[in-house]
Amino acid sequence: MPGARRWLLLRAGGVVFVLWAAATVTFFALRLIPGDPAEAILGGPGSQAGPEALEQVRREYGLDRPLVVQYLAYLGRLLAGDLGQSYSLREPVASAIGEQLGATLTLAVSALVLAWALACALAAWSVRGGRVAWAVGSGLELVAAAVPHFWLATVLILFFSTTLGVLPPVSVPGPLGVVLPALTLAVPLAGFLGQVMRESLLSAMESPFVTTARARGESEVRIFWRHTLRHAAIPAVGLSGWAFGSLISGAVVVEAVFARQGLGRSLLSAVQLRDVTLVTGIVLVVALAYTLMTLLTDVADRLVDPRTRTVPR
Amino acid sequence: MPLRRSTRPRAAAVVVAAAALFLAACTSGGTSPDQESGEPVAGGTLTYASGDAEPSCLDPHVGGNYPQALVATQYLESLVSLSDDGEVVPWLATEWSESDDGMAWELRLRDDVTFTDGTPFDAEAVAANIAHVQDPATASSTGYLALAKVQDVVAVEDHLVRLELSEPDSALLESLSQVWVAMESPKALERSQEENCAAPVGTGPFVVDEWDRQESVTLVRNEDYVSPPGDVEVPDGGALPYLDTIVWRFIPDSASRYAALQSGEVQVIDNAQPDTIVSAEEDPALEELDAPRPGAANRIELNAGKAPFDDERVREAFIRSVDVEAGIESLFFGTAERSYSPLSSVEPLGLSEPDLFSVDTDAAARLLDEAGWTERDAEGYRTKDGERLTLDFPVSTNQSIPAEQSLFEQIQADARTAGFEVRLHPLDLSSWYETLAQNDYDLVSAPYTKVGPDVLRILYHSASIEPAPSGYFANLAQVDDPELDDLLARAASTSRDDERASLYEQAQRIILEGYHILPLYDQQNHFLHSSSVRGLRAMPTVSTPTFAEAWLAS
Repeated sequence: MPGARRWLLLRAGGVVFVLWAAATVTFFALRLIPGDPAEAILGGPGSQAGPEALEQVRREYGLDRPLVVQYLAYLGRLLAGDLGQSYSLREPVASAIGEQLGATLTLAVSALVLAWALACALAAWSVRGGRVAWAVGSGLELVAAAVPHFWLATVLILFFSTTLGVLPPVSVPGPLGVVLPALTLAVPLAGFLGQVMRESLLSAMESPFVTTARARGESEVRIFWRHTLRHAAIPAVGLSGWAFGSLISGAVVVEAVFARQGLGRSLLSAVQLRDVTLVTGIVLVVALAYTLMTLLTDVADRLVDPRTRTVPR
Repeated sequence: MPLRRSTRPRAAAVVVAAAALFLAACTSGGTSPDQESGEPVAGGTLTYASGDAEPSCLDPHVGGNYPQALVATQYLESLVSLSDDGEVVPWLATEWSESDDGMAWELRLRDDVTFTDGTPFDAEAVAANIAHVQDPATASSTGYLALAKVQDVVAVEDHLVRLELSEPDSALLESLSQVWVAMESPKALERSQEENCAAPVGTGPFVVDEWDRQESVTLVRNEDYVSPPGDVEVPDGGALPYLDTIVWRFIPDSASRYAALQSGEVQVIDNAQPDTIVSAEEDPALEELDAPRPGAANRIELNAGKAPFDDERVREAFIRSVDVEAGIESLFFGTAERSYSPLSSVEPLGLSEPDLFSVDTDAAARLLDEAGWTERDAEGYRTKDGERLTLDFPVSTNQSIPAEQSLFEQIQADARTAGFEVRLHPLDLSSWYETLAQNDYDLVSAPYTKVGPDVLRILYHSASIEPAPSGYFANLAQVDDPELDDLLARAASTSRDDERASLYEQAQRIILEGYHILPLYDQQNHFLHSSSVRGLRAMPTVSTPTFAEAWLAS
């Protein structure tokens, strides 16, 4: 199918464009806000570094050259696959990201799974429970979707760690340590997924195939899991790329609150220290993951749902 | 609640009644009996949770900030230390003498100490360390300033070193006591900066074993430890340190940090906030270590370098119109004591003048009238020639804790009644420094930690108005007074203690009576720990806790 190949090529070009744009915007944004990267290298903002030290560092890192030259040199290195050296960590950006990526991915995947479980469970309960349960379920989803991560994290710590004492308030090695952080990320996402599903759940329940199933004498539970949920989940699955992006941004807060390793925390401190190469490196990795995820869902969409293939993209 | 250094004498003249009462209350509370009872137990792992940012380099020569000092205190040692009452005591150096002209110091070194990589500690090692701090490639900032007057280092004998100075420096020993100029293995210093930052090698009670970034630094017991500071009593058999392992974690969120302490996940936390300190007082399983930092007290500086604070009457009017005491009382729940001095209460030479800071709104109104700010605009702010009496106050959200930011808001409200418009600008650290560098401020609060009263020279000598190449300058009050400059310069070079004390007293009087600063409280430095942690104390130098004598009761 030449159409499909052309579509794929276009999408791949889109990925490259998004990456370039992300690198460029981050590079200039960080250089335009107040703060001197040379100071970041010399022990942070407001360092009392002497003139020789500043000069040495500016020369060493090429910070004395015009911004455009620095930008082009940076792009050149990126093309060669070199993410550069982190000022603040004194190690290559690639290895700094490598050390932290696993923790963030573990968190994001756990949260995604948990969010789906929560959303489906709530939907199942509220579909069976009649009008009141439906209203309660939809209300819960609305609240969950609106809850800020930092607030939820504090409440969960107070309840599960301080009051009940069953889960550690900060990250510890092993699966126990990921429960509260993942739950913090999962609840708002579950609320959002639930809201999206609810719309199509409603229409699915009134559709002829459900009536048919009922006529066949299938139980409501079976109808929900076999028919309506499947139907309702399609638009929510399509949002997985977006969901992944939102999880990464949520990780910035959650990793700090739970003192977890991860890219979100690296990003936060890198921005505060004006560590341009590290920030752009992380932004690139996240952008790459985000676009790949979106690309994958689109491909999956085209495979699963023949209707989408007729729509030119 | 044990209070560190409760015995440290403050200059008799400055002890106000309130301070005396406070001090008495703390001493009488004293160390709880169970703290003292029981033989130290060897072994165990202690987890420390810091609220500060994770250092980017574990070698405090590089850069040189407080988070580095906290962790490095566990594995690095200095040439000298301070006793609880502020006297210089031996550490890696056993004795010292100053030449008659004050241009050179000779230090006799311990000859039985080796670095944990096996390199012997000797005069050459001292020379290598000072050279490392002074090398621009090291990018030292705090240590570099501390050694600014050291011109040459001569290894006279294997264990005798001479520091030759560019001018006499009465603060030299105090400077050398700081962990930012601690001694590291010269062999280790020859490695690349990356390697040395990841695992500096010292002579301290612990050794850096592993650094898992954003997770923890693991410190293990130095099996051959022999060199605690001179004021430490070494137990029979030389068992120090008691702990096997310290896991040093970074938990930036204050609520999570406290929850981790309560749940037993960690045993010690720093940066304890006023509300958690009060809550911990109720909890028999927790104890507090209050270790105000040396150097300057936390204070609001009034920028005398431009209008309207170039007029002393306007400065006094501002200070007279704000009720700081009430704010501290309500926001810090009694965990912070009001200061009336440019210096921290742990500095023996600090001068307090409470009378200068009593609230007097009538006097404030009169002073503003005299200074020509006679009109009021529609919103009630004073004006002069149609211009509003506006004060810009950039606030560093990294350095000012939430309680302090709330205090600034109360000050803003008080000042409004008097006719000042205070504009608070909450900023992140980089933006905050940029604002200061551009002189876009009338009020500012900036902490400064340094051992000894020489901090006054850094903060208030007119030479410190001149910005460094980074734009940084320390004299944020922009005090430019030849008489003060002369006092500070003489104090820095005299070798007579009584003369030094008197010069610093006169200098502080000029700063306070010129209404250049509004002192708030000591630089807060509260630690909370599980009561199973015994033998924990803060170094009398820069108030970092040391685990050299700490042990875990079962």
